[in-house]
Amino acid sequence: MMKAGPSQEEIRRHNLGALLRFVHVRGPASRAILAENLGLNRSTIMALTSDLTAAGLVREELPRTPGRRAGRPSLVVRPESTRVYVLAFDVGVDRLTVARVGLGGVILDRREAARGRVAASGGASGAADPNEMVNALAAAARSLVRKAGDEATCVGAALAFPGIVRRSDDQVMFGPNLDVGGMAIGEVLSRRLGLGVPVAVCNDANLGAIAEHERGAGVGVNDLIYLHGDVGVGGGIITGGRLLGGEDGYGGEIGHMVVNPGGRRCACGSRGCLEAEVGERTLLDLAGRQESPDVPGREAVRAVVDAAARGDVVARDALHRVGTWLGRGVADLVNIFNPGMVIFGGTLRDVYLGAAAQIRSEVATGALAASRERVKLRTAALGDDTTLVGAAEFAFADVLADPVQVLARLRGAPASAPVP
Amino acid sequence: MSTVTPVLDLRGVHKSFGPVAVLHDVDFVAYPGEVTALVGDNGAGKTTLVKCIAGIVRLDRGQYLFEGRPVRITTPREASALGIEVVHQDLALCDNLDIVQNMFLGRERRRGMVLDEAEMEEVAADILAGLSVRMSGSVRQPVWALSGGQRQTVAIARAVLGDSKVVILDEPSSALGVTQTRQVLELVRRLADRGMAVVLISHNMNDVFAVSDRIAALYLGRMVAQVRTADVTHAQVVELITAGRSETLEARRDGRPGGRRSAGPLRAGAVPEAAEPPA
Ligand SMILES: Nc1ncnc2c1ncn2[C@@H]1O[C@H](COP(=O)(O)OP(=O)(O)OP(=O)(O)O)[C@@H](O)[C@H]1O
Ligand SMILES: [Mg+2]
Ligand SMILES: [Zn+2]
Repeated sequence: MMKAGPSQEEIRRHNLGALLRFVHVRGPASRAILAENLGLNRSTIMALTSDLTAAGLVREELPRTPGRRAGRPSLVVRPESTRVYVLAFDVGVDRLTVARVGLGGVILDRREAARGRVAASGGASGAADPNEMVNALAAAARSLVRKAGDEATCVGAALAFPGIVRRSDDQVMFGPNLDVGGMAIGEVLSRRLGLGVPVAVCNDANLGAIAEHERGAGVGVNDLIYLHGDVGVGGGIITGGRLLGGEDGYGGEIGHMVVNPGGRRCACGSRGCLEAEVGERTLLDLAGRQESPDVPGREAVRAVVDAAARGDVVARDALHRVGTWLGRGVADLVNIFNPGMVIFGGTLRDVYLGAAAQIRSEVATGALAASRERVKLRTAALGDDTTLVGAAEFAFADVLADPVQVLARLRGAPASAPVP
Repeated sequence: MSTVTPVLDLRGVHKSFGPVAVLHDVDFVAYPGEVTALVGDNGAGKTTLVKCIAGIVRLDRGQYLFEGRPVRITTPREASALGIEVVHQDLALCDNLDIVQNMFLGRERRRGMVLDEAEMEEVAADILAGLSVRMSGSVRQPVWALSGGQRQTVAIARAVLGDSKVVILDEPSSALGVTQTRQVLELVRRLADRGMAVVLISHNMNDVFAVSDRIAALYLGRMVAQVRTADVTHAQVVELITAGRSETLEARRDGRPGGRRSAGPLRAGAVPEAAEPPA
């Protein structure tokens, strides 16, 4: 970038984005609150609001629940949730979810489908046909778009994927639990949708971290670590308020941190990775249960945690062992990153609640006193929707960066016919 | 942490029932924004301590500071007026009333002479949604139809509605199913994260570790330790409960190499004698 000051146009774009982001993340707000929080004067806020209103991104109206304070309630600027939306795709090993998420982060509508696992035969399971998966995702998305009607505009799309994804071209480089065989899912899906928006692809746990940071347990916590349990264990690290991506976007693969040298073999080829010691297969194996194609992993894990809570000694022992390894991993993370919060999502949410005594005991002995003093351990506040909500947040990035332009482009350009 | 004034600060509390001493020189603190777990064996005095705090039982001796100010609480009404809400396992909900009526019992909103049903209903629904509680069915169903976990949730929501400062839950999960327990645990954590002081009595160490910031251990009517959960292990807490002391904890506290004493040390309470620091 040349070192010239920003132009009027750039400033305006920046301010439009900041205002839209504020109401998107924090909800409806009065002009006074916007002025105070964005550090702009009232007349600027008024001008920005009228631009965004003209573009159909926000609307001003009386608050829905009148405050209990006396006096005339002032107008609030509200995001146009039903008219401006994104498509969020969440690819889990057992479950595909597609949602239409409105500006403001409201899940307006969703489709879910179970994905049958291909029975494990020594190798990784879940190696289902990627074409079938894309077909299912595209069909669900199209039905959501149809239902939304012509009044509504899709401003972005993103897909959460349980594997490592190269940032430069969204290529899935490695998905030990879900092989897509080098397919450029984002591009294929975007073509199939024909909405004129690209479909960004991102690691699911990274998106989970973003979602919990913006809308979940980690709001206001600028250094946090999100751990996501599906079949494997994913991670997302936020430091100084930003996602740690690393050189290529592969950062945060906490699941492949070795916690038990020489331990169980991991799908990545190494031994004793966190994922290998605490993942779903290991928990089921230790609990003497078979992985079944009929019972989705999430439910199988929950069944073990429930059995342990009811006193089943085998389940309890399995959960304790897994909890101990998980605690060791967390202790290391606490020492290295000094996070303000560690959030357990996906199946690890159940594992945390069922094995907190083991996990925290390991943190108490393994983490430095100073580092563990203030770290909060929490379960994902967005529940089973963390990665989905993260995908939606990611999909909103473009419109939040340049609201008016993006909308003008999408409304102006006739959508190409979707490729069947 | 030390700059924060505890909401509850009890010092040197004694309580006897006739000739039977039940609480002996007990210190107890609870901070806003934190979950304090109160643990101890059966008969250790947990419920009695809670009853003292809530004005159900009168303490014989000792100081009671609320938000730093000395108070004398002799009735549940006085405790409630300060913002102390107790959720007992045998919940005091009115079975024949619905969720909204239970939440607003004794503090109904009125518009002139008539109850503002619409507003109460809206506020009730908002609070439940704000706590991320899913009620299958409407807020107008009578509470006898609710499960144990849902009843508990209504009791907790009552506390939120009343802008309580302290919520005390006496063994909330003992009669709950596994899923309900999970829900209540996450709810308890959320209450504290919104700034309330939560006191949780539980025999389930896993629940204690899942949500607590501090653990206060009663042993035969004495407070043997009040520690930060981050500083202790499961085994040490079990020792405190069953034996009234933990040698590894004392050794560690007094001189673990490299581990500086962290905030919230064992409060002197009634730890008999401190171990010598290792040479
Ligand atoms: N009203 C009372 N009159 C006489 N003794 C009482 C009374 N209430 C409690 N006690 C006695 O005080 C002791 C402490 O009882 P408390 O109910 O406080 O224990 P607790 O720690 O809550 O136990 P639990 O885990 O079983 O609930 C017990 O020995 C009990 O029998
Ligand atoms: Mg009791
Ligand atoms: Zn690995």
